[in-house]
Amino acid sequence: MKRLKILIPSLRERKRYIAFQVIHEKGEDFSYSDMESALWDAMLDFYGELGVSQTSVWLMKDLWNEKRKIGILRCNHKSVQKVIASLGLIERLGDTRVTFKILKVSGTIKSIKEKVRL
Amino acid sequence: MKFYDLHVHSEFSEGESSIEEIAERAKILGYSGICFAEYFKNFRKIEELKKKLNDVSKRVGIEIYLGFEARNSYELSKLAKKRKEFDILLVRGGELNLNRKAVETKEVDVLTHPEFGRKDSGLNHVMARLASENNVAIEINFREIVSLSKTSRSLLLKNIQRNIMLCRKYGTPLILSSGAISHWHLKDPKVLISMACVLGLEIKEAKNALSQVPGKIIQISKGRQDERWIMPGVKVIS
Repeated sequence: MKRLKILIPSLRERKRYIAFQVIHEKGEDFSYSDMESALWDAMLDFYGELGVSQTSVWLMKDLWNEKRKIGILRCNHKSVQKVIASLGLIERLGDTRVTFKILKVSGTIKSIKEKVRL
Repeated sequence: MKFYDLHVHSEFSEGESSIEEIAERAKILGYSGICFAEYFKNFRKIEELKKKLNDVSKRVGIEIYLGFEARNSYELSKLAKKRKEFDILLVRGGELNLNRKAVETKEVDVLTHPEFGRKDSGLNHVMARLASENNVAIEINFREIVSLSKTSRSLLLKNIQRNIMLCRKYGTPLILSSGAISHWHLKDPKVLISMACVLGLEIKEAKNALSQVPGKIIQISKGRQDERWIMPGVKVIS
């Protein structure tokens, strides 16, 4: 399938990347898919479908660090607070009790990778 | 920037976690200080509690304050008389008469979740003005938001937004707290600030509600514990 031509920079959405770490119970484990489904459930419950669509939120699979439980969320620059607030609403991933620590908010993947040392 | 959570319960009151667990988690999340809200029934053990909090504070490296939460008018009157013996006086909001008495009492530092268990916001323009005059901070409790869902959560959010509007209008101090009863309920300060922004506060106001306002409450409280202190605004100088 032919791909769309990329928008010119002035028309593109301004992105923000949020690095976070999941603090979880010792001895318990969870996967990327648990994190992804919990995030979508929390956001859809709290903001609704229209609200979530306006955030352009995405959990980046290729930047998920399974060992250190560090992940990066992408959203648009107007929705950073909305996305961070929704992380606070997640209390469990699967059967594991969790808390989130926000490590860094940045405008580029490069700088967030440097800061978090992924 | 220093962040403080002034409403945390340990296993001594209604909490599930020990003081050590909560203090260590607060340190990891980036808090400079936390206040354990105990109940009036534990007032007999105040010296024991103070000693324990001091030990944990030194070991973990975080400021820990001792607060008492009044749950009815009788407890509020008793605690107001013994105000110099502990750091923070909180009043559990929800009941209209108690909300009113709390905002009228100068000794009170924080009125916690005035909308708790109510259909209305538990605060009106008269009470917001009184709270502002008596420097009683109104709390936005995160545990309530997390623990509810669907209809009840949306009603709660509406009430919180109304209280925020009243506090902004009358210059009443606002504080954010996790209301944690377990170390798993403690939230990153950035999460609390973001939630306050979602509920209608400006980012600067939200940061103040977690750092400057609680910091000022602690400062006033320390001044009150000074031997030369007599009453608000009156102190022996020489």
